[in-house]
Amino acid sequence: MNREMIRLTVNGDPYELLASPRQTLLDVIRGPLGLTGTKEGCTTGSCGVCTVHNASGEAVLSCLTPALEWDGEAVTTIEGLETSGRLDEIQQAFIDHHAVQCGFCTPGVIMSARAVLNEHPSPQMDQINDGMSGVICRCTGHIKVREAIRAVGSKLDRRV
Amino acid sequence: MLLPAHDYAQPGSLDEALALLNASPATSRAIAGGTDLIYNMRGRLEQPELVVSLRRLPELQGVRQLSDGSLRIGAGERLADLLRNEAVQRWSALAGAIRSVASSHVRNMATLGGNLCLQTRCWYTNQSEEWRAGRGPCLKTGSPDCHALPGVEVCVALNNADLAPLLIAMQATATLASAGGRRELPLEDFYTDDGIAHTVLGPGELLLALTIPPPPGPAVYWKHSSRTGLDFSWGTVGASATMADGRPVALRVVLGSLTTRPLLLDAPVRTILEQGLGDDAIAAAQDALRGELGALTNLYTPAAYKRELARILLKRALLRLRES
Ligand SMILES: Cc1cc2nc3c(=O)[nH]c(=O)nc-3n(C[C@H](O)[C@H](O)[C@H](O)COP(=O)(O)OP(=O)(O)OC[C@H]3O[C@@H](n4cnc5c(N)ncnc54)[C@H](O)[C@@H]3O)c2cc1C
Ligand code: FES
Ligand code: FES
Repeated sequence: MNREMIRLTVNGDPYELLASPRQTLLDVIRGPLGLTGTKEGCTTGSCGVCTVHNASGEAVLSCLTPALEWDGEAVTTIEGLETSGRLDEIQQAFIDHHAVQCGFCTPGVIMSARAVLNEHPSPQMDQINDGMSGVICRCTGHIKVREAIRAVGSKLDRRV
Repeated sequence: MLLPAHDYAQPGSLDEALALLNASPATSRAIAGGTDLIYNMRGRLEQPELVVSLRRLPELQGVRQLSDGSLRIGAGERLADLLRNEAVQRWSALAGAIRSVASSHVRNMATLGGNLCLQTRCWYTNQSEEWRAGRGPCLKTGSPDCHALPGVEVCVALNNADLAPLLIAMQATATLASAGGRRELPLEDFYTDDGIAHTVLGPGELLLALTIPPPPGPAVYWKHSSRTGLDFSWGTVGASATMADGRPVALRVVLGSLTTRPLLLDAPVRTILEQGLGDDAIAAAQDALRGELGALTNLYTPAAYKRELARILLKRALLRLRES
């Protein structure tokens, strides 16, 4: 079994690490990189708590992709959303709209919400629903989450 | 839980990938988006010794409009990228079918080729490794027994690839590549009735591209599943017609997810071509389905439900063609 040195840029920081074919991107992010904000849930693609962004700011499931596939690429995790101590506006909106209860799904839900806003700065409801259909929140439900996304989207509307 | 032990290679060209696969075809697997393969490896349904990545193969990328208006789509194209492609967007049924696959998260990873080559599934293979151990292995995992339909000798797992039915209806052609060369075949001939060797891909052979001719008339797609987002389908229908004076003069209707291979319908289509799209003709076409469905199983949904769903899917597709 070939362990390989891979280069990964995570949240803007370059890393070089040994990874095995047995490890998913999620295993590497939570293990050797110690970025435990990204959660492990179902590991089969159906809950979305492992959501991170690829270099284009799209939501991908880190549990369903081998770490070695990402050699030379960049990913963003929940830890990478805040900049110099300031929360991303979607993170603040989750607080303001009480879109968090137990918080376990929250990193994946926020990364998914951010990805919706990356693609549609002022998303329509069907775009929100489609972009959020890959994540499940067991306790807050999805209404508050939608409100938080709408709030960020409509703020953008007002700016233009 | 870690994935099963295996070697991993990320070739930079198609030839290199084919050579790697050809060296030990029985124990090697290609990985595209990985959303099916990693799922199956995690559940120990598949334990290849070598995984060959298709991620960096330029030959599998690209969407090209050919001179006759056909679209040639590389098998490695991501579903999310296809949805952003203007030529794909113009074919709204196709765009709708792509959008119906899983979630945006999955479509940001999954590819066209991976969807068309999706492993077949049944309620037994859907269970965890621990659960399956209680019953012992099946035809797929190395025993003469099928737990889903005891007594059958050929795996009856279902083909849930949501893009296959419409693409077959649209007369798409598959281009396959192996170390020995290339071949082309109509997509309906790509699938078999064996849930294990469910495509005609030979050892070490890859799906290279799909060529879709321009629709001669209206095309429709419908997916029925428990939720709009994320879930596999209980049944899908894809149809494409050439119309003259409100009547189809050529018609292809394909049902998906009900059987091991997508079903290209014959008798119901002949009924419509003879009788048109009136209510009576549609009812007659529904009745003509009876002989076409073959032996339906109770996988996921009861056989009686599938039979009724097939009638509804057919009717829905025909009504939509009529309204178009
Ligand atoms: C939560 C969840 C929901 C899903 N929902 C749906 C759904 O609604 N509808 C649906 O159709 N699917 C669904 N899927 C299944 C799967 O995600 C999609 O079918 C997807 O398109 C597979 O593409 P991939 O590139 O990720 O495939 P991979 O996992 O990379 O490959 C799948 C199979 O095809 C083979 N393969 C891949 N590319 C090639 C090629 N070019 N030539 C030869 N063989 C190849 C691989 O060896 C493997 O056996 C779902 C999966 C998950 C995890
Ligand atoms: S842990 Fe990745 S989708 Fe659930
Ligand atoms: S906040 Fe508890 S699962 Fe979403």
